[in-house]
Amino acid sequence: MAKRFLQRLGLKDKLLAIIVPLLVLAAWQGAVSQKLCSELILTPPLTLLNTLLELAQSGDLTLNILASLKRVMIGFLLGGTSGFVIGILMALSPFLNRIFGPLIKALQQVPEFAWMPLIIMFLGIDEFAKYFFVAIGAFYPMVLNTYQGVSGVPEKYHELARVFDYKSFRYLFKVIIPSALPSIITGIRLSLGLSWMFVVGAELFGSDSGVGYLMTWGRAVFQIDLVMAGLILVGVIGFAMNFLLERAEKQFLLWREPVDGRPA
Amino acid sequence: MKKLLISKKTKGILGAIAFPIVFIAFWQLFILAGFPSARFLPSPYKVLQKFVILFSDPTYSHNIAVSLQRVMIGFFIGTLAGFIFGLLMGLSKTAEKIFAPFFHAVRQVPMIGWIPLIIMLFGMNELPRVLIISVAAFYPITLNTFSGVRNVPREYLELASVYGYKGLTLIRKIIIPAALPSIATGISLGLAMSWSVLMVAEIFIQTAFGIGTQIQRGRDRFDIALVIAGIITVGVLGYSMTLLVQKIVKAVERGQVISADK
Repeated sequence: MAKRFLQRLGLKDKLLAIIVPLLVLAAWQGAVSQKLCSELILTPPLTLLNTLLELAQSGDLTLNILASLKRVMIGFLLGGTSGFVIGILMALSPFLNRIFGPLIKALQQVPEFAWMPLIIMFLGIDEFAKYFFVAIGAFYPMVLNTYQGVSGVPEKYHELARVFDYKSFRYLFKVIIPSALPSIITGIRLSLGLSWMFVVGAELFGSDSGVGYLMTWGRAVFQIDLVMAGLILVGVIGFAMNFLLERAEKQFLLWREPVDGRPA
Repeated sequence: MKKLLISKKTKGILGAIAFPIVFIAFWQLFILAGFPSARFLPSPYKVLQKFVILFSDPTYSHNIAVSLQRVMIGFFIGTLAGFIFGLLMGLSKTAEKIFAPFFHAVRQVPMIGWIPLIIMLFGMNELPRVLIISVAAFYPITLNTFSGVRNVPREYLELASVYGYKGLTLIRKIIIPAALPSIATGISLGLAMSWSVLMVAEIFIQTAFGIGTQIQRGRDRFDIALVIAGIITVGVLGYSMTLLVQKIVKAVERGQVISADK
């Protein structure tokens, strides 16, 4: 009985959830077919679907998505790795913390997009400038979360490590990183999300490939269906990345729980 | 023994000053060393000179005023809308089930992704700039208002039903005060987001005035000192705004504790 009731409840929730999207789609299609709004300004949903299919068929879709993902990966590796290393160093050494702490805090006050003109002046507008820009976005969440995770390692773990006489690498890989892992995973998730946002920004500034390029191109030739298709791609890919990493995060937390739950 | 002579407070102040001094010294040294990559980098002194020029230039203060105004209008609209929307979703489970999935789906699109579409729909004028800033503030405020309202302790609601509070009285006397810390977090996050998106709005949606415009203009003229001065201005203004909001939030929370004690 209870199970069936729950099932029905789940179905009802799903029905409620699609009300707004359906209304939006209907209003959107209606506005165009009733000539309230020109098709040039607002592409009807069906045409949009068609555009997406055409892009997929011609291979442009995969090409541009791969170009963006490549930039995200390289930029994320650059920024995330340096954030990870600096975060650990800052948490373990009060001296380095005093050097990097204020620097990061000061730099963080500047909205990342304000760096764009400066980056372009120094690095030009080629691939490396894009990697660098993405790396800036990936850096902050990674350094902050790693720092938080590592400085939150319980004192008893440090004591235990001293008892076992763990030093340097063993200490790092057996005690510090496993204990800080949940926080680090959160950092990875946030930093990958920002990387994705920044790659789109970098591509809007000027590029010859990528999802952001697809949108600028669409705007330049006044093909709004391309702009909207790009927007949907940006949203869907961002969502997928976040979803997968959230799953991974939960997995890691599950793994962690029994460790914490055990009596000390 | 010597260590004892320096009090904790002076140590803190010294620590705070030491960093910028060392940083600026390194910057200057880097330029004096004559690295080829430093050719374009202006010295700290040149940036200071640029600031002196800027301070006597009415365009600079006008740029700041325009940017602040833009952020304030956008932030205000976004806050108001986010507060109402978050409250609605927090109070009604049905409203949550109807709107939340769509809200979360739309939220996945990075702010920057909206820029081309928003330009095509509204043109390059003030409306899309303010709109995108308010959307940036809208997300965190909605989320935090929602979770604040949802997490009002059960005892408060029981107490409210004992007093017979209903409808607006319940919202005004119990729910909003209890959700206030969470709402305040949303507001400070929203302000930070607005300030960050302001740069996106001013750099991508070209405009005549604003700090973002000034940075962009510095780039066009290859005036790196102007760009750096703009970046510093943005950072300092953003930081002071964050500090101000944090002060207000703390004051509000303290006021709330006092009134709860009564």
